[in-house]
Amino acid sequence: MTWTDTLEFLRGPLFRIAFLVFIAGLAYRLIRVVTLGWPKDKVLSAGSKAKGVATTYVKAIGIFPFIPWVKKTFNGNAVTFLAGGMFHVGLISVILLGTAHMLAWKSLLGFGWPTLSLPIIDWLAAATIAAMVALLVNRLTHPVVRKLSGPAEFLNWTLVFLPMVTGYMMTHHMFFRYETLFSLHMLTVDVMLIWIPFSRLSHFVFYFFSRTIHGAQFGKRAVTP
Amino acid sequence: MSTQIALDTFVAETGGWVAAQLEACTRCGICAEACHFYQATGNPDFAPVWKIEVLRKAYEQRMTPGGKLKTAFHIEKKIDDQELLDWSKIVYEACTVCNKCSMACPMGIDLGPLIHNVRTGLAAAGLVPADLAAAVQKQLDEGSPLGVTDDVFADRIDWVQDDWDVDIPIDKEGSDTMVVFSSIEIMKFPENLADIARILNTAGENWTLSSKGREVVNFGFYEGSPEHTALFLQKLVDAATELKVKKIVVTECGHAYDALRWTAANLIDVPKELEITHIVALMDKFVSEGKIKLKKGAFDGSGGIAFHDACKIQRRGGHIEEPRRLLNILAPESFRELTPNKEQAICCGGGGGVIAIKEADPYRFAVFGLKIDQAKVAGADTVVMACSNCRLQFLDGIQHYGSELKIKGLSNMVAEAMEGAN
Repeated sequence: MTWTDTLEFLRGPLFRIAFLVFIAGLAYRLIRVVTLGWPKDKVLSAGSKAKGVATTYVKAIGIFPFIPWVKKTFNGNAVTFLAGGMFHVGLISVILLGTAHMLAWKSLLGFGWPTLSLPIIDWLAAATIAAMVALLVNRLTHPVVRKLSGPAEFLNWTLVFLPMVTGYMMTHHMFFRYETLFSLHMLTVDVMLIWIPFSRLSHFVFYFFSRTIHGAQFGKRAVTP
Repeated sequence: MSTQIALDTFVAETGGWVAAQLEACTRCGICAEACHFYQATGNPDFAPVWKIEVLRKAYEQRMTPGGKLKTAFHIEKKIDDQELLDWSKIVYEACTVCNKCSMACPMGIDLGPLIHNVRTGLAAAGLVPADLAAAVQKQLDEGSPLGVTDDVFADRIDWVQDDWDVDIPIDKEGSDTMVVFSSIEIMKFPENLADIARILNTAGENWTLSSKGREVVNFGFYEGSPEHTALFLQKLVDAATELKVKKIVVTECGHAYDALRWTAANLIDVPKELEITHIVALMDKFVSEGKIKLKKGAFDGSGGIAFHDACKIQRRGGHIEEPRRLLNILAPESFRELTPNKEQAICCGGGGGVIAIKEADPYRFAVFGLKIDQAKVAGADTVVMACSNCRLQFLDGIQHYGSELKIKGLSNMVAEAMEGAN
């Protein structure tokens, strides 16, 4: 079997299986949590829950990532805020606005969109990788984060780091043949996709629950969340 | 055995609301920086996320396939008795359930209520610290954790009426408003009774106390037991129903307000038309409606005056602007804000039952150091608050540190500055 055959398998059947596991797994997690029961809140509101929810999303998505010190807890966690922010912005930009990734999306969805130029994406990817390294160092040295970190946290980090690094190596033709690097990239992406529903990497799904609850609880009391 | 009960309770209380938030946590640790107990001691055990770790573990091990596999293959140890005892220490002694952590969480997880859930499991298992458990027992036996029995109540009210020369109606049918004091006020700050009575009388409020619903403090809420919480709340709602009042006013007590205003309707039947409010909101209303007149600047000229936001009356109570409006009349020149303030404020360190637990003293005093620093930075000579539990903690704290800070209750200031009082 050549690298080309391997690549065809990794980006073809295995990718489809991985994507299916990703979607089905997350759907299962979501349905299980939703069906656990949601008791009705019978307490009379003093303010508007909807307004609280709207405010918290605006603050969290619109302001918080760009002006982290609005939360007043910035100083003690500068690494987590800055590196964490950089990682998320970088990851989402590369996955959605990198030309190669857009083409992959296009083959899945049937339509494409404008992308950022390669040098910009390349710098973003490098910054994202650097941010991940900073987050790992923080995880190993900060007393609280170290206490919270078990094998699962380090495995999560590794399984996200590998697709990032192999992707970066691939665009720079580093060390190995292109097909080899592409295969490694696809393999690590497949593994990561399969792993997401089994891990805390799925937090992006539950984010919308906790953020909404937070906004509603503060809005109900007429307090700015 | 007790472990089993705690775990069963954790599982029983884990609805989608709890599970979704536990699933959202990324274990980033940012909440630690919001926690005054962690900030003051640097102990990573006090990180809010670590306080709910036992709830997360119980949820994973008992309710998720992954967690079940982990315990089946001995990758993760099942929760045992010792572990629960450790958690009893950190969630009761080093947490005031002030919910500041939820303001810091990038995922927006409402950590305070989740820590309350941990307490619920521990309370069901009988793992409440001895001092707190004794206070709960006292409230069950005598109707008050501070020993305000029927007789003591009647005596104290008589004494306040005589000594302060003020009318305090008891069990007056046909009243619009039932006022409930905390036993901290009845036993330690009796001037609150006199001053609040004078404010209500001057405003022409048709009000009464109830001899049946005489204790607003709810130690069941501190320990996290829904049964005890409901029992103590029911007494108040029953008393209000019996007296046919339209409104219950909670005086200067924070957690009692959280329990009655924001929790009661989800635990017991509360008549929909029964309004529950806090004395701070009522005083502000009296002023804006012109029912009482305050002497402008009555407290100016005696140094800086800052307001301490109580976690349960301001951040979790919603009465953030009212005390500021009052202070801007009472001391427009001298009023200054502590930093951080309002919904971001640092809790006094004595709430959530912490002040009732002797073993927690070193932690609550360590935390209080942050309040002293805040006052210093703001240039405040006096700190005002609307919570008698905070006030106890402040009095203990300034004694502990030998600080010169003066402490005042907001109701006392309003009564003092009131014009045409009778």
